[in-house]
Amino acid sequence: MADAAIEIKNLTKRYGRSKVYALKDLSISIMPGEVYGFLGPNGAGKSTTIRTLMNFIQPTSGGATILGKDIVRDSVSIKRRVGYLSSDMPMYPSMSGEQFIKYLSSLEGSSEQSYIKELSRTFRADPQKKLGELSRGNKQKYAIIQAFMHKPDVLILDEPSSGLDPLMQEAFYGLLKSAKERGATVFMSSHLLGEVQRVCDRVGIIREGRLIAERSIAELQKDAAHTIDITFRGEPPLAKLKRLSGVEVISHDSNHVSVRLKGSLPPLLGLLSEHDVTQLEVRQLDLEELFIRFYKDEG
Amino acid sequence: MSSIAKWSLWQRRWAMFWWSLGIIGLIVLTLALYPTIRSNAAELNKSFSGLNSTALALFGGTDFFSPIGYLNSQIIYLVLPLVLSILSVGLGGSLIGHEEADRTIETLLSRPVSRTKLLLAKAQAGFFDLLLVTFLSSFATILLAKIVNMGIPLTDIAAACVACFMLVLTFGSVAFLLAAVGLRRGTVIGIAAAYGIGGYVISSLAATASWLNGISHIFPYHYYHSAQILQGSFDWSVIIFSACLSLACLLMSISAFRRRDIH
Repeated sequence: MADAAIEIKNLTKRYGRSKVYALKDLSISIMPGEVYGFLGPNGAGKSTTIRTLMNFIQPTSGGATILGKDIVRDSVSIKRRVGYLSSDMPMYPSMSGEQFIKYLSSLEGSSEQSYIKELSRTFRADPQKKLGELSRGNKQKYAIIQAFMHKPDVLILDEPSSGLDPLMQEAFYGLLKSAKERGATVFMSSHLLGEVQRVCDRVGIIREGRLIAERSIAELQKDAAHTIDITFRGEPPLAKLKRLSGVEVISHDSNHVSVRLKGSLPPLLGLLSEHDVTQLEVRQLDLEELFIRFYKDEG
Repeated sequence: MSSIAKWSLWQRRWAMFWWSLGIIGLIVLTLALYPTIRSNAAELNKSFSGLNSTALALFGGTDFFSPIGYLNSQIIYLVLPLVLSILSVGLGGSLIGHEEADRTIETLLSRPVSRTKLLLAKAQAGFFDLLLVTFLSSFATILLAKIVNMGIPLTDIAAACVACFMLVLTFGSVAFLLAAVGLRRGTVIGIAAAYGIGGYVISSLAATASWLNGISHIFPYHYYHSAQILQGSFDWSVIIFSACLSLACLLMSISAFRRRDIH
């Protein structure tokens, strides 16, 4: 088995003398080429994890390695191979986009100018305008360019598509796809669950600094129950529906029922054929529902 | 010079310009008045002779209207160190503090740049900023002293300006250390300014109050004998004390900054 590209082991973080743990015994292993989605509400510990990986803050105990190197001891050499971006990437308002990229590449030492130009074209970034005059979405384009410009082996992304319009979001997903194709490992946090479902191979859910669930997207899709919305002409056969095995009634009203189907479909279809059904809609369970359920269950 | 240092200097180009212009203006105004003062020196000396020794010590001596006395009490002992100290403390507190407050420090540290390298680049930028403003101010002082015919050897004025630079560098270094430790900007400026102003008051009064003599040794002003330097007797103690303290502050800054969380 290949070594993990990112290996977080019992990572614990407490700020100052606070008794509250921002992270507690967090362990995650991300394989090379994997896109890992890191989910959790505000204050769950996503940004603390990312800031610790980037060595902006130091672990209280435990640790992590990126590409086999220690995040604290080997931080500088790690960063030659890591691209980082956050949703509100701090920039210098008096610099133009071009100056900003040039400045950061001068610290990098290995960015290809042709690739930077290609990225600027893809994101339609205005190189002359001062960063302080740009909208949040336009600033985010530069945050993306600086993270990808040196073709890093590992990408650490904190809410990466935040502020981008749908067209630019598509361009970003395309960029992520080509990074994955060349074998890059991606660790990303996001509030956009649809985005995570679309681009990630695996997701981890964090709550109060602890990892409470970790599943692959394929596994989730396979195991996911299906939600079916059924509209009847007249009153729905609630009692019969509740008796069917593998069917759970989620909600109902005078002529409508929503059920979650975990078993096979034919018994339900058999029952429905005996009644006057006017509309039937199959909704696949989405990540959002799963995310909320995890939080409710754990709460 | 690293690109971080270059960018830091470029960002401060207008601030450097206005600081230099302001200080030069102050020097021109002060020294342009000297020909008038000189003609009334005897009477002015008589009226100042009534001041007590404590007040005289705060102004840097007993002689205010001879060429050396005027230049020392008005520029070299008081105005130049005071204004350059404000610049130095502000710089020391903001070079790292500003990047941290704006969080742009994270953008820099997300690149393959060590914290030591970042800190040294910032220290380098601060040093050159202060050096440039001091150089221009010193040049203006020397030029004006020549124009108003003060008769003081220009090398002695230049030597006094070097001593002044070393003195104010210390206050900036203290502020830089406090910012590197992670204190808030207001606290940094407060403590560094208290060290500077407190040192000035204590070291000046130590000449008349012997019980302050012991404690005055921890302040660079104690070693700053600008009047003596203008009289041609250069005292290396201010250079040695300030260089040692500034270097110690820099080393402690590196040690503290390497291990702490970025806020």
